[in-house]
Amino acid sequence: MSNLRDQGAEFWAKWDRPRRVTFVIASIAVAASLPFAGNFSITNILNTPISSYQDVLVYPVGMFVLMALGLNIVVGKSGMLDLGYVAFFAIGAYSMAILGTHTHLNMWEIFPIGIALAMFAGVLLGIPTLRLRGDYLAIVTMGFGEIVRITALNTQKIGGPNGIANIPSPPSLFGLKFNISHPNSFFWVVLVLILLTIWMIRRLSIRRPGRAWEAIRQDEDAAELMGVPTLKYKIWSFVLGAGVGGAAGVVYASKAIFISPDAFTFNISVLILSCVVFGGIGNIWGVVLGGVFLAYLPERIRFISNARQLVFGIVLVLVMNFRPDGILPRKKREKALLTKDDLGGKND
Amino acid sequence: MTEKILELKNLTKNFGGVVALNDVNLHVNKQEILALIGPNGAGKTTVFNMITGVYQPTSGEIIFNNKSIVGKKRFEITKGGIARTFQNIRLWGDMTALENVLTATDVHSKSGLVGSLFGSIRSRKTEKEATVKAHEILEFIGIDEYGDRLAKNLPYGVQRRLEIARAMGTGAELLLLDEPAAGFNPAEKVELGNTIKKIRDAGYTVLLIEHDMSLIMGISDRVAVLDFGVKIADDLPSVVQNDSKVIEAYLGVPTDAS
Repeated sequence: MSNLRDQGAEFWAKWDRPRRVTFVIASIAVAASLPFAGNFSITNILNTPISSYQDVLVYPVGMFVLMALGLNIVVGKSGMLDLGYVAFFAIGAYSMAILGTHTHLNMWEIFPIGIALAMFAGVLLGIPTLRLRGDYLAIVTMGFGEIVRITALNTQKIGGPNGIANIPSPPSLFGLKFNISHPNSFFWVVLVLILLTIWMIRRLSIRRPGRAWEAIRQDEDAAELMGVPTLKYKIWSFVLGAGVGGAAGVVYASKAIFISPDAFTFNISVLILSCVVFGGIGNIWGVVLGGVFLAYLPERIRFISNARQLVFGIVLVLVMNFRPDGILPRKKREKALLTKDDLGGKND
Repeated sequence: MTEKILELKNLTKNFGGVVALNDVNLHVNKQEILALIGPNGAGKTTVFNMITGVYQPTSGEIIFNNKSIVGKKRFEITKGGIARTFQNIRLWGDMTALENVLTATDVHSKSGLVGSLFGSIRSRKTEKEATVKAHEILEFIGIDEYGDRLAKNLPYGVQRRLEIARAMGTGAELLLLDEPAAGFNPAEKVELGNTIKKIRDAGYTVLLIEHDMSLIMGISDRVAVLDFGVKIADDLPSVVQNDSKVIEAYLGVPTDAS
């Protein structure tokens, strides 16, 4: 039990390529068919009371997983505590809302713009603040999250406290319709984004950027003295995280049709961070699990109404007590990234 | 052979009112082992910290390969060819020994973030080359069998050696070793001495801080002595050994001399 993650990694290492491909495709198929699970008698215990199950799958579940993965690049990979992650989510959402209501661009066209704006905000925030460390960085990022929300709250041009309504739904894509009565399409878009993010993190982790982040997380001074341009890689990790948050924001706004500053409180930053910590800092699968669990559980137990926050809190405390490194902790690998076999010919 | 690789000119460092280094002139020739010794607090590690850019000198110049490196960023100095080890081991414990060296070899890697992401051919190729090089360095230092182990789980002696391997991984010409034999038993010290000589013979230059006199006398080409931030001797080991000032610094002035 203690090294559930390592056991999984062992199975994976033993498998040959066709087996791995089959497993990945099967997993994606299962994930993609989740919205239909509410229709069958065996799986309908998944149904959430009060709110619609299909909607819950998009927000919060899918969105939380996506954002937790994005935040994991910052917190888990390079070890910087970011308490204002919701700011990038808000920037993505407001990009969609403002451009969607004021221009003729549709959601697919705004999507890259929203990501770019969030990333740009990441650079702007990152350059001056990433020289700070630990608690100091946490305080500054927390301030940034609040600044973005309060600016939105006090700017009448973008609706102030009333927010922005009538955000257009995305036009159809590949025959899929996107509107209130078709939440599943949004879920699949989020799923694709999640898969892309996972692919990106896995790719980067085993190469130079991953090593640089790992070195920065473990001993930043040693990293700098061993030739790692630490500021550059810290900004990169911040910017990539911001981009993922921005992407989530754009999809969220086009799904929700209406957004207001209330949706981007400090609470969300903390919840996303909880998903990362609860699932297992630095481990993709742990973070995914954490996101699913922390987003889904409060919706599933909505029938106990007021007591649900209490139960949610107790579950959090219990799990963190018994598994302080998260459900699936970071792997403690004792193996090189490239084995000698991979090098070919240097097998002796 | 007597070409200077590093030169400290009138180097002074004040910490507030404390003068840690006072007008120190020192040079390191190419492919030599220069030992920097002195009692505790003499300013040896301060010299290392200034060469590697951790501290800025209050005044004076640091010339490396005929260029001043004062004011350069720490990672740029490393990229330029100076790498160090730490008195208190500072490996990345949760990485394997190989990855520790690999991360250091990335200094000269041309593969960037985008290339890594899309798995460009150049990125894959550099990745393989770097891994081969890292294995070679571990083998050279004699710890390749530990390549797949996490650094924090390695025996103490191997960790010390891995620090040297990591510094070599950066491709530096000049290695600054800060007490590499601290905590070693006599047999290990002899072995380490041989390794350091082997490193010099492979074309590296070594600037060494060490307290163990038998090790220093055995391997150094030259010995410089610091005392209270001032250089009091700089000569062949056999000469320094009998220098009255050095003996005074270490043992104190005889009471009847005054």
